Formats: sequence, structure tokens, C-alpha cells
Amino acid sequence: MSVSTLGTPSATRLSPAILAGLKRLPEWLVIWVPLLLSAGHVVVFTAWTTWISFTPSTLVPVDGWVGLRNYTSVLGTRNWKIAFDNLLLFGFGFVVLTALVGLLLAILIDQRIRGENVLRSIFLYPMAVSFVVTGTVWSWLLNPGMGVQKLVNDMGWTSFRFDWLVDRDMAIWTIVIAGIWQSSGFAMALFLAGLRSVEADLIKAAQIDGAGPFRMYTRVILPTLWPIVVAVMVILLQFAIRTFDLVRALTGGGPGIATQLPALVIYDFMFQRGHLGRGSAAAVMMLLTLLGVLLPYGAWKYYMRRRAANA
Amino acid sequence: MSRITRRSMLAAAGAAAVVSAPRRASAQAVKPRLTAISQWSAGSDGAAITALGKKFEERGGVWQHSPVPGFTTEMMNKLRAQIMAGDPPACSQLKGPEIAAWSKIAATVNLDATVAAAGYEKVVAPDLARLHKPGGKWAALPLQIYRTNTLFLSKRALDRAKADKLPTTWAEFNALGDKMKAAGIAYPVCNGGTRADDGQKFEACLAGISPTAYRAAIMNLDEKALKGPEMKAAFAQLRKLADWMDPNTAAQSYAVHLPKFVAGDMGMMIQGGWAQGVLINAGFKLDDFIIAPGPTDNGKPVFILNADAFIFWQRKEPDLQAGQKLMAELVMDPAIQTMYSQITGSIPVRTDVDLSGAGWSDGQREAARTLKEAVAVNQVVLSLAHNMAQENGMTAAMIDVLTEYVKNRSITPDQAVTRLAEAVEGAR
Repeated sequence: MSVSTLGTPSATRLSPAILAGLKRLPEWLVIWVPLLLSAGHVVVFTAWTTWISFTPSTLVPVDGWVGLRNYTSVLGTRNWKIAFDNLLLFGFGFVVLTALVGLLLAILIDQRIRGENVLRSIFLYPMAVSFVVTGTVWSWLLNPGMGVQKLVNDMGWTSFRFDWLVDRDMAIWTIVIAGIWQSSGFAMALFLAGLRSVEADLIKAAQIDGAGPFRMYTRVILPTLWPIVVAVMVILLQFAIRTFDLVRALTGGGPGIATQLPALVIYDFMFQRGHLGRGSAAAVMMLLTLLGVLLPYGAWKYYMRRRAANA
Repeated sequence: MSRITRRSMLAAAGAAAVVSAPRRASAQAVKPRLTAISQWSAGSDGAAITALGKKFEERGGVWQHSPVPGFTTEMMNKLRAQIMAGDPPACSQLKGPEIAAWSKIAATVNLDATVAAAGYEKVVAPDLARLHKPGGKWAALPLQIYRTNTLFLSKRALDRAKADKLPTTWAEFNALGDKMKAAGIAYPVCNGGTRADDGQKFEACLAGISPTAYRAAIMNLDEKALKGPEMKAAFAQLRKLADWMDPNTAAQSYAVHLPKFVAGDMGMMIQGGWAQGVLINAGFKLDDFIIAPGPTDNGKPVFILNADAFIFWQRKEPDLQAGQKLMAELVMDPAIQTMYSQITGSIPVRTDVDLSGAGWSDGQREAARTLKEAVAVNQVVLSLAHNMAQENGMTAAMIDVLTEYVKNRSITPDQAVTRLAEAVEGAR
């Protein structure tokens, strides 16, 4: 009884606040719970992996402290050195060439051509294909014994050679080719959106000044696009750093160990060699590489926003 | 009417239960049950383990096999997760030195009494037995054996090269390779592009040149042996093989090239005994190819051994313990080993199984005979390429060097010897 007499006035007093809270509750649940869970997921497992990288863990995680031993032993392997050199080559080739091809496609499609939607879908479609499928298909196309080289040889040009897939020095570029095929549509879509958002007045003004199409692009349109160029490059670069399935399906890290990439080395250490500690150390180094890209980008974005706000 | 029928049926069932109950109770207190994981889900491997499960059920057991198809690593990830959760399977597929490594992270069953009762140790190759006795106690049991240095020769390639003698030493092998090359066979050696493939070629070279050096360098990682003259000779022989291989293999399996091999466009293949099953499954005939032991320079048979095995994890449940005992008995049983090997094309672990009957191929008979002879002269060694000689981490570090050497002609045998020794040092 006393509960109800006490409760009634306070309930009426609090009801607007409670009601408002109840009304917002679904929003909070929908936004904050998944956000906290996924943030926790990332933070907890990153911290755990970092911890394991300092322990003598092999087949299963164990406690203990070995300092930087896992790091030095990973850094000492040929696999890791080759993987890192490859990452530089692949990262540079993949990002720059994909962005260039994407930009070219975007400019060509921007010419108000017929069938634009069809073409755009075709170019964007590879993005919907998994990397394993891309890798497998390209491994057939690029195989000198059954793919492009054999086709051209059989057509009569018998001295034609295109055997990068089995050439130690060139194999990494086959991964770049397959990567470009997969991702240039994505770059194209972003660039196209940028091209379409260039102010019409600007273009009109340039036309009145008598700029031809080439000058129009190089001097007027592209300079306004460069924030998008940076965004595309950053996104592509982090694609490049975590590339795993493409290599796995295309070259298997070979010929020999010529096309190893860091993600493959990590998987190899953790699950094939049974060295969870060393694998974690390699994973932490890969995370640091990613941060090396993302932190400067974040700082740059922050700086640009500050400058825009002050202007 | 129907009520009476039902009641009479119940009575009959009750009577049956009363009659059978005491017998069952005395025979076995619990129904044996086995939880098992392996990667064998399809093909002859899947068929063989399913047949084994049937036998288990025939003996009154409950067979609960969960295959984890795909790479061995996937299966090991599941095993790792189950061990960490404190719920390991009663038995799981595991092989070679990994048995000792994994038995350190979870308790295994001591099978000594069961093995002794079956008198099993006498009929198993000693090096193989050692792998399954971490800490001197049987914790795992081998299931089947394959020889990795089996030499397959293409009948048509031999005809094209007008060769009638099978090579028994590396010198004869090289002479035949030259002969084939001269006869216009583009690739005297048939190969795949996988890491295991390259590793397998090297181990066949080294063990064929000197099984003693193989044992010291590869199995015992002796520093002096790793830099010994036999290692250099093995790398030089490996270079010869590499030069005769089709370079356009990327990461393909050797199986892709079998049609060319049978057609005589490739001549010789050093593979595991399983290649026979693959050839037959691909529709080729036994007289398309010849199976011979791998080259050996000291005139005595060398057998590079690869074996699949089951490890038994400690469980408290009486029904699982009974299941483990039953499974161990089955795996050691010559009749079961015969059934299993006839399905997969391997040879039995027991050296006392008679292979003269129907259901065995000449290749299997020859491999089993060679195993017995090689045990007698102590020339059975454990395969590096198939994770029998070293733990996975060491194996992978060594194969890195081997596969790079095969793919890169500019590395000299001397450099390869140094690199291999360094890789071993780095992975210790």
C-alpha cells in the first residue's frame, strides 16, 4: 500500500523525463549497444593480440614475458623481409595504378555517353566478386601454359611471352593486375561522384575563357577533385596492406616465397607453424603499418576541417 | 482389441529387455562412444573413415565423427579451440612430431596396456613408433603409411626414349632423364608447384644419396650434418630435377599434369603412393605407368615414411573411455588396417600383414615389401615435406629454403646449404 501512495506522486513528477527516455531508448539501444560491442571487440582483441606478442605462446596462448624476442625473430626471417618489400612494391603499384585507371574510366564515363549505367555496372561489378574468385580466375588467365600466352602462341605469334606468374621478379605484378581489375571500378565510382559534383558555374566560366577539354580537366576539374583522390588512395592503401585471399588464390605466395605479403606471413606463423607469439608480433607490426597510413590521414583531415572552419 | 495388442506387445518387449539386460550388463557396463575430428570428409579418405566408423558401430559403439574439410590448419584450429575450452574430442587426427607438441598442452590417454595386449610394438617401424610415444608412453596410434619416394614412370615416355631399364640409382635416373630429353620429351620430370612438392623432391634426393645423412641433418638437425657434403650433393641433384620440370606450374597440384605424364610428355614423377589412387581415379590404367622405389645410391632400399595417425585425448566420461579403448583395438587390428589401406591406396602400418591377396595393387605390395626390407637395414626415414621429421614451424622454415631454391636457378648448392642451416638456426 505504502509503495503505491509513495510511488504515485513521484511517478507523475518523473513521467515526462521517463517518457522522453523511453522514447529514445530504442535509438540508444540500436546505436550504442552495437557500437560498444564492436569497439570492445576491436579494442579487447587488439590488446590481447598485443599481449600475446610478448609471451612465449606457441600452439595455444600462454602467460609469460619474452620481451621483444618474438619481434626480433620475425624481423629476422626472410619471409618477413620479402613480404615487406613486396608490400611496398604492391602497395605503390596497386594504389597508384588503380587510382589512375579508375580516374580514366570516370572521365570517359563522364562524357555523357549512352549506356552509362550499363558500363558503370560492368566496371563496378568486379567489386562484388570475392578476392578468391578473382585470384583463381586470374591464375588461369595468367598461367603461361593455359592462359593468355598460350592463346597468343596458338594464334601464331609463337615467340610471345607473358609468364609473369611463374617469374620470381615479376609475379608480384600479377597480383597488382588482378587487384586493379578488382578495385578500379570502386575508384571510378568515387571519382565519378566527384566529377559530377564540380560546380557547373566553374565549368561554364572555363568554357567562356576558351579552355579545351584537356585543359578543362587538368586545370579546372581535377584540382577540385584532390580531396577525393586522397580518400581513394587511403582506402586503396589499406586494401593493399591487408591483402590475403587474392595472393593465396593467385600465386600461393610463390614462385617459391617470392610473393609473400605480411597478412600471409601472419597466418602462416599463427596457424601453420604453430607460433602464436610470433604471428601476433607480426600482426602488431602490420597494425602499426596501417596506423602509419591512417593517423597522418586523420590528422590531415582534422587540419583541413579546422582550416575550413577558420576561413 | 487394439489395447490388448498394444499391451501384449509391451509385454513382449519387456520380456525381451529382461532377457537381454543381464547379458549386456555383464559384457559392457556402458556403450562405447567416440567423438573424433579429422579432415577426411570426401573421396577415398572420407570413404575409409566412414568404413572404420561402420566397424566401430558393428562392435556396439556410438560413432560421432565430425570432419573439418579443407586444409589441415582448419582441423587444427578446431582442435585448438576445443582443447582451450576444456572439451577435447576423444580422438583426433594428428601426425608426426606434432603429436609430442600437442600432447604438452592437453592430457592424453596412456595406451600402453592396450598396445601391449595387442603385441603391436613388434610389428611397427621403430622410428614410427617413437613418434607416437611422447614421453615414452603410447598416446597416439598410426593408421596408415605412405611412401613419399615412390618413382612413377610414364610407359609412353619410356617407349619414346627407348629405355627398358628402370633407374635404381640417381646416376641411372639422371642418365634416363638425359635420354628422355634427347628423345624430345620436354619435361622428363613431372611435378606440381606446391611447397610440399618441392620439399618431397629434396627429401628423395638426400635420402637416396645417404639415409644416414638424412637422419642426422633433417631428423636430428645436427649442425655438422646440415653443412655436410651429402647436403650439397642433394641440392645439386635437386637442381637437375628442377631443370627437368615444367616451370609453368604456379601453385598447381601435381595432379593437374597427370594427363601429360601418361601421354609421355612428362617422364618421371617422384610422388607419394597416393598418386596411384589419383591416377586410377582420373581414369588411367595401371599399365599406363610403372611404380618403382625411389633411387637409392647405396644399393639398399630407402623408405621415406609418411603416416596418418590418431591421438587420444583424456576424457572422464566412462563411455568415451570405453570408446577410446575400442578405437585403439580397431586401429591396430590387421583386418581393419587391410580394409582401410585398400580403400585409400596406402599400406598397412603393421609389417606383418599379408598383401598377396586380392584387393592390393602391385605398387602397394612393392611398397610394403620395401618397408619391411628398409626396416631390416635401418633405412626407414621420416618425411620432411609431409611434417613427419620436424614440428610444423621448423618444417615450414626449411621448406621455405627448398622451394625458393627450386624456383630460383641463380642460387647455388653451396648457398642453399648455408641458407638451410641458417633457417634451421632461426627456427629453433
